[in-house]
Amino acid sequence: MKTSVKFSKNEKIFLGVFFAVYAGVALWNFDKVKFPSGVGHIWQIKVPLPSILGTLNPMTIIMTAVLLVVLIYMAIDFKKHLKKIPSRKQSAIEILLSFVYDLVKDVIPAEEFVKPVFYIATTIFLFVLSSNLLGGIPGIGIGVSSKGGLKLNLFTDTWHSPTGDLNTNVTYAVMVLFISHIFAIKRKGFKQWLKEFASPNPIMLPMNIIGEIAKPISHSLRLFGNIAGGGIMVLMLSYLVKYTFVPVILWGFFGFFVGTIQAFVFSMLAIAYIGVQLEL
Amino acid sequence: MTDLSMAQAVVHAAKYIGAGLAMGIGAIGPAIGEGHIGQGAMESMARQPEMVGTLTTRMLLSQAVAESTGLYALLIAFMILLI
Repeated sequence: MKTSVKFSKNEKIFLGVFFAVYAGVALWNFDKVKFPSGVGHIWQIKVPLPSILGTLNPMTIIMTAVLLVVLIYMAIDFKKHLKKIPSRKQSAIEILLSFVYDLVKDVIPAEEFVKPVFYIATTIFLFVLSSNLLGGIPGIGIGVSSKGGLKLNLFTDTWHSPTGDLNTNVTYAVMVLFISHIFAIKRKGFKQWLKEFASPNPIMLPMNIIGEIAKPISHSLRLFGNIAGGGIMVLMLSYLVKYTFVPVILWGFFGFFVGTIQAFVFSMLAIAYIGVQLEL
Repeated sequence: MTDLSMAQAVVHAAKYIGAGLAMGIGAIGPAIGEGHIGQGAMESMARQPEMVGTLTTRMLLSQAVAESTGLYALLIAFMILLI
């Protein structure tokens, strides 16, 4: 049993450089920090499309594209190095995936739907997890200053996380809703699926419809509230200490701890919503 | 902030009071719910100490779900304050 933590030379150099850069930036920022005036406002551009489609959030699009490319590259790279005797990374990922697979198998009542639901759930989990984790790492972003112009946030904010934007979350939540109903039609047949809405008796019809509409709303707002609210709270609290040392802890808490749990909750609820619809 | 008419000043005051009330009252429900979940988890952990690992993850999961109404209150408070 190890009695003390030992760092290798490379780790020591990395930590030294990291803390030196961090302390430098913190000292450089110390007397320049103003109250974050652009809180709650994001960079938007207008495009000539009908009203609700007319605004774009460029940071969300950029970060989503970057994340997708990185995730796909990592997946291809991982698949290339698959071995019969797993390396440490491969066995970690296998443990994670088999954990999710067992969860899906417990919840989904139909044998033939276990694999598709597993693919959907893990895809959502990986994307949401990695974008939540980005919200816990200080990085470069483009924000809005108080006068309405754009400004570059150089390590005074976290990376812009795509799940901190309601549009991303609503997309996934509505996707899960549609998938659950399509699977339900496939399993039960169209007539039986329609009949489910009027069960146990026709008086409950509006209740059932409202219940179905409320699912994606609560599903998406939960994740959005956690990530966006956490981000705003971190900004306000880090202003109070002038970005010296507390942001690291706060970014760690809101980004890593809350982010991991919420990503897990999001994919668990997706599995549960699909599982409820698949019950005969 | 200097040249505010009476009506604007009242609106500003009402904004802050409203945001505070929304967050304060909205936090009561999730607090009670999470307390119940924690109590249940602790009791079952004391009864079966070998289940601590599973129970902790399940407890965190259900607390995150119970927390969501509090987060709606937080969102509404931010909307009142910032928009």
